[in-house]
Amino acid sequence: MLLDVKNLAVSYGKNQSPTIQGVNFKLDEGKILAIVGESGSGKTTVIRAILNVLPGGGHVSEGEIIFEGKNLCTLDEKSWRSIRGKDMSMIFQDSGAMMNPIHTIGKQFIEYIQTHSDLNKQAAYEKAIEKLTLMNLPNPENILKSYTFELSGGMRQRVGIAMAITFQPKLLLADEPTSALDVTTQAQIVGELMFITRGTGAAMIIVTHNLGVASYLSDDLIVMSQGKVVESGATVDVIKNPQHEYTKSLLSSVPEMDRCRYV
Amino acid sequence: MSDIIMSVENLTKKFPVDGGKFLTACDNITFNVRKGETVGIVGESGCGKTTLLKAIMNMQSPTSGKIMFRGKDITKLTGEEKRQNYRHIQMVFQDPTAAFNPKMKIRDIICEPLINFDLIDRSDIDSKARELLTQVDLPPDFVDRYPHNMSGGQRQRVAIARAIALEPEVIACDEATSALDVSVQDTIIKLLVKLQREKGITYIFICHDLALVSMFSHRIAVMYLGNMMEKIDGDKLKSARHPYTRALLKAVFSTEQAKNQYIEILPGEIPSPLDMPSGCPFRNRCLNCQELCAKEKPPFREIEANHFVACHYPIDIA
Repeated sequence: MLLDVKNLAVSYGKNQSPTIQGVNFKLDEGKILAIVGESGSGKTTVIRAILNVLPGGGHVSEGEIIFEGKNLCTLDEKSWRSIRGKDMSMIFQDSGAMMNPIHTIGKQFIEYIQTHSDLNKQAAYEKAIEKLTLMNLPNPENILKSYTFELSGGMRQRVGIAMAITFQPKLLLADEPTSALDVTTQAQIVGELMFITRGTGAAMIIVTHNLGVASYLSDDLIVMSQGKVVESGATVDVIKNPQHEYTKSLLSSVPEMDRCRYV
Repeated sequence: MSDIIMSVENLTKKFPVDGGKFLTACDNITFNVRKGETVGIVGESGCGKTTLLKAIMNMQSPTSGKIMFRGKDITKLTGEEKRQNYRHIQMVFQDPTAAFNPKMKIRDIICEPLINFDLIDRSDIDSKARELLTQVDLPPDFVDRYPHNMSGGQRQRVAIARAIALEPEVIACDEATSALDVSVQDTIIKLLVKLQREKGITYIFICHDLALVSMFSHRIAVMYLGNMMEKIDGDKLKSARHPYTRALLKAVFSTEQAKNQYIEILPGEIPSPLDMPSGCPFRNRCLNCQELCAKEKPPFREIEANHFVACHYPIDIA
């Protein structure tokens, strides 16, 4: 087992009542877990807690997160630096926003590689090119010379994924990786996420509000509402045979091509 | 078959850019809108759907072409006549938070259009606002609230209440549900359909979600790079024949499809509208592109009743 989250609760600031509570799940190597829910349901908080990057004074107030036998909640900052970005990395909703707009992508990519390894600049450059090529990006040399605003949304997202998989992480955390994209680009990125997780054997937790994407990609599914897990299980079971009322209503409100028409 | 309420004829909008070039946001768009129907306009970002809507709303004048509405070409209207025209076309925006003045109460927000056109006495504002809130299934005592006291879905209902205040004939929705959660989106769509049945309102609904549009549109128009690619009846969407529409249909992830089923992915990216390919705008991503596609731009032709396609070789789906 790669990751074991036990009875997790997270609170923000001095707030006594936890934002999320009672979250339990296990994730095996190479499996994909999807967390779905509406805005404010706490799905992003879960994966931010796993990576220990909770914003605004957020902290794990209860429970534990076991990653490869280590309890992540008790690690110090120094040990985190060897895990974050290497064994575990994150793909954001808009990968353009995670980078500095006044430096080239190449400069930041190489800096990232050198921070986490002993490679010299030339070797780091070659590694960056290799990862960009893996993501089907044409002209990787040109991309390393560009700034984030010069790329389209789909290309930026590919660069973000290329950076996240640089060190062959064991766990990828993806926070709404396709929500900002057009439908045909979304299909491309979803296809590539599938390809890289199958290719590298990485496990992935994908947070999304798109139930279609979640059911396509994931092995297991967690449905969250108001900070609590309302249903979890194998994706096929949850989608085909939902037990909880909330899951049923959520599934029935997803627009589908063959659903009855209102007019 | 109901009457045509608005007809857009050969509408073209070009924006000048550096170096004396022009960006063609809408290229020769022609379509009719029938009374009491919903026209869904679908396309990816940068396809010109918002530019088209702005022309219909008379917020931007087109480079050429006409928009006939109530017997007049509304693009030629000026002054008071133009202002009066806004009474008949109202709009619902994508982000309901940005669409309101945060310092106004809901009562004043909803009745502002009526005050602007001098259709209401000050003393009637409260009762009218309550009546409109009831129509959009909100509690009438919301009149004393401010926009920030409400959830996103409730704010979008207030935006709809404001749009129907003037009893317009046409309501244009620009991605009106994209900022909302799926369950809220569903209730807003049901509300729009209910109002359409009661009042016979015509909707022009811009959206990027083909599955959503297919649920409640009478006609669906698909746009790509400023061109209309296909126009089809909403209930016949499955038999769309343009390669781009087919690709959009395949790009919809459904909870009903089998897991890990092969998805056909459209190669490449949308070209820059400043650097349009010759001939068919879609040809460099099209899977059955042939010689003729590079030479000649396909005309927007009717291949069946009410089914228009701009393609030399429409896909045979039979």
